[in-house]
Amino acid sequence: MSEWLNQAITQAQGVSDWLSPKRDLALSALADIRWPTRKTEAWKYTSLRPVEKFSKEAPAAFTSTSTLTQIQGFECLDLVFENGQFVTDLAALTLPEGLSIQLASQADASKQAEVLAKFSSIKPERHVFGLLNDALVQDVLVIEVADNVSVAPAIRLTSILGLAAQAHTRVLVVLGEHAKLTVSEHYQGNEESLNTGFVEYEIGADARLEHYRFALQTGKAVSLGGSHFQLAERADLNSTLVGFGSDLSRVDVDMVHAGENAFAKMNAFYLLDGKELFDLHATVEHAVPHGTTEENIRIIAADQAKAVFNGRIHIHRDAQKTLAELNNRNLLMSNKAEINTKPELEIYADDVRCAHGATVAEIDKKALYYMQSRGISRAKAQVMLNFGFINELIDQMPNQELAEWLRPQMREKFSQMEVK
Amino acid sequence: MSNTNTKDTSSLLTIKDLHASVEEKNILKGLNLEVKPGEVHAIMGPNGAGKSTMGYVLSGREGYSVEQGSAVLDGVDILDLEAEERARAGLFLAFQYPVEIPGVSNLEFLKASVDAQREARGEEAVSSADFLKLAKAACKQVNLPLAFLKRGVNEGFSGGEKKRNEIMQMLLLQPKVCILDETDSGLDIDALQVVAEGVNSQRSNDRSFVVVTHYQRLLDYIKPDFVHVLADGKIVKSGDASLALELEAQGYAWLQPSDEEGQNA
Repeated sequence: MSEWLNQAITQAQGVSDWLSPKRDLALSALADIRWPTRKTEAWKYTSLRPVEKFSKEAPAAFTSTSTLTQIQGFECLDLVFENGQFVTDLAALTLPEGLSIQLASQADASKQAEVLAKFSSIKPERHVFGLLNDALVQDVLVIEVADNVSVAPAIRLTSILGLAAQAHTRVLVVLGEHAKLTVSEHYQGNEESLNTGFVEYEIGADARLEHYRFALQTGKAVSLGGSHFQLAERADLNSTLVGFGSDLSRVDVDMVHAGENAFAKMNAFYLLDGKELFDLHATVEHAVPHGTTEENIRIIAADQAKAVFNGRIHIHRDAQKTLAELNNRNLLMSNKAEINTKPELEIYADDVRCAHGATVAEIDKKALYYMQSRGISRAKAQVMLNFGFINELIDQMPNQELAEWLRPQMREKFSQMEVK
Repeated sequence: MSNTNTKDTSSLLTIKDLHASVEEKNILKGLNLEVKPGEVHAIMGPNGAGKSTMGYVLSGREGYSVEQGSAVLDGVDILDLEAEERARAGLFLAFQYPVEIPGVSNLEFLKASVDAQREARGEEAVSSADFLKLAKAACKQVNLPLAFLKRGVNEGFSGGEKKRNEIMQMLLLQPKVCILDETDSGLDIDALQVVAEGVNSQRSNDRSFVVVTHYQRLLDYIKPDFVHVLADGKIVKSGDASLALELEAQGYAWLQPSDEEGQNA
C-alpha cells in the first residue's frame, strides 16, 4: 500500500458536504482495495513508482511555467483549473443561450442530487485512481446543453499543475437531445505533480459531441485521469485523444452505448520519447443492439519509451447488429522502446461484425519508392512516412484550428526523435 | 531530326541491350532505344511485353534486377544509382498507378521533391512562399482544385486526378527525360487533353519524352517523332507516327509468330 494513498484517504475522511454519500462509498471501497502492483493485470506494464514517490507537501501557491495555450482561430470558452482549483470567473462569461455552466457546490439541492445520481454512473467499476478522484474531488463543474441547441464556440477545459501540486478535478457534461457541442480537454505542465482529471459525458439522443483530450503533460507530471462517455439513441461521438508521455501518464476512456444506433469514433495517437510512458485503457460497452464503434490507435515510441494500449470491446448478449472495429498500428523507432498492446474483444451476441488488429507498422515500400523516384532520399522519405503515420490522424481531426495548432508541435517533437 | 547539341550528337537517353528480370522471370530481353533531345518516342505493344517494366527498371524500383546492358541518361550511367539519384539526374517516371500516401500532404511531398533535386544541383532551396506560388500555378495548369495541394498525396484522388497530379509533379520538377507509363489509361477525353496539354507545354529542345501507351488515342494529342513496338522484351519494329495508326488498325496479332515457343496456340 502506498503511503501517499493512506495520507490521501485520511485527508478525505474528515470532509463532510453534499458529496459525502459518494465520498464515503469511495472511501470504503478504497479501504478494501489492493494497491496495484506489476502483478495486477490492468497495471502490468505501468509502474506506479512515480505515485509512490510523490512528495506530499502541498505547494503554497500556484506557479507554473505552463500557461493557457493560444490557438489561432480557435473560438472557445475557457474553463481553467490551476492546481485543481477552478479559477474561471463564471459570472464574467457570456454564455450562448441553451448552455449553462455551474459549480455543483453552488447549485440548488435538486441539481446536486442530479449530479450525485450521475456521479461515476458511466463507469461504476472504479480503479484505484478513479476511487481516489471520487474521494478527493471537492466540487463538480457541470456543463449542460439544452435540447436542440448547437453551441458554436468550443468549450476548452484546461488543467495546469505547478510544482508539487495535486489536482483531482471532476467535470460533468450533459448534452440534451439533438444538442451539439465541442469540448477540448487540455492537460499541461511538466513539473512534478499529480492529477486525476475525470470528465463524464452524457450524450443525449441524436446529440453530437466532438471531443478532444490533449494529454500533453510531460516530464515528472503524473497524470491518471479519464474521459467517460455514455451515448443515448443515435448519439454521435467523435473523439480524438493525443498523448505525450511523462514519468507516468495513464488515461482511461470508457464509451458506453446505452441507446441503439449510436456511433462512437475514437482516434488516439501518442508520440513518446526518452523514458516516457503513456498508457491508454479504452473500454467500449455495447449494451444495446445496432451500435457502431470505430477506434484507431497509432503509437510511435522512440528511445526507451514505453507505450501501453489496452482496447476492450465488450458486446453484451443483447447487442445484436453491433459493428465494432479496432485498429491499432505501432511504430517502434528504437529497439529499446516498448509497445505493449492488447486488443480484447468480448462478444456475447451472435450477430455482430467486429474486427480488430494490432500491428507493428512497416514502412510502405511502394510509397518509399514513389518518393525516391521524385528525388527524395530514402532517409528523408522514411521520416516523412513515419510522421505521416501520425499526421493521417491529425488530418482527420474535425476541428481545423486544433489540427493546425497540434501539427507543428507533433512535428517538432517527432523531429527530435531518433531512429536507433 | 537534326541535333545541334554541344555534346557531340549525344542522345539524352541511350538504352543498350537491356536485360532485366523480376522474381527470376526475364522480362526485358535486349532492349535498345536511343532518345535524342527534344524527341518524343512512343512505345506500344501488347500486354506483358515489358512496357511498364522498362519504366520501373530505369527508375530503380526494388525487386527488378538488371542482368546485362546499360542505360545512360545525359552522359550518366544510371543503372547503378539509387532511385533518388536517378531522379536527380533528370529522370521522371509518371506512374501508371500513382501511390497514395495518407498523412503526407501533396504540397509537402512536392516541396521535398523539388528541394532534394535543387540541393543535388547545388541550388538554393525555394522559400515556402515562393514554392506555394509555383505549386498553385502547376495545380491550375493541370486543372486540379488548389485544395489538392493540402490533401494527402493521391489520397482518395480519382484515376484521372492521380494522372494529373503526376503531370503536376513533372511540371515542377522539370526533368530531362520523362517516361509516361500508360498515363492515358482510365482517362476520359477531358482529362486526356489536360494531360496532353501539360506534356506538350513541356516539349522543348532539351527535354525528351518516352510515352508508353496501349492505345493510339493519346498520340493524337501528343505527336510522337518515333513509334516503337515492344514485344517480348525488345523493340521489334520502329517507325514514325503512322506506325501507331497501323497498329491501331491491325492490333498485335501479327506479332504472335515471334512469341516464345511453348507459349502456344
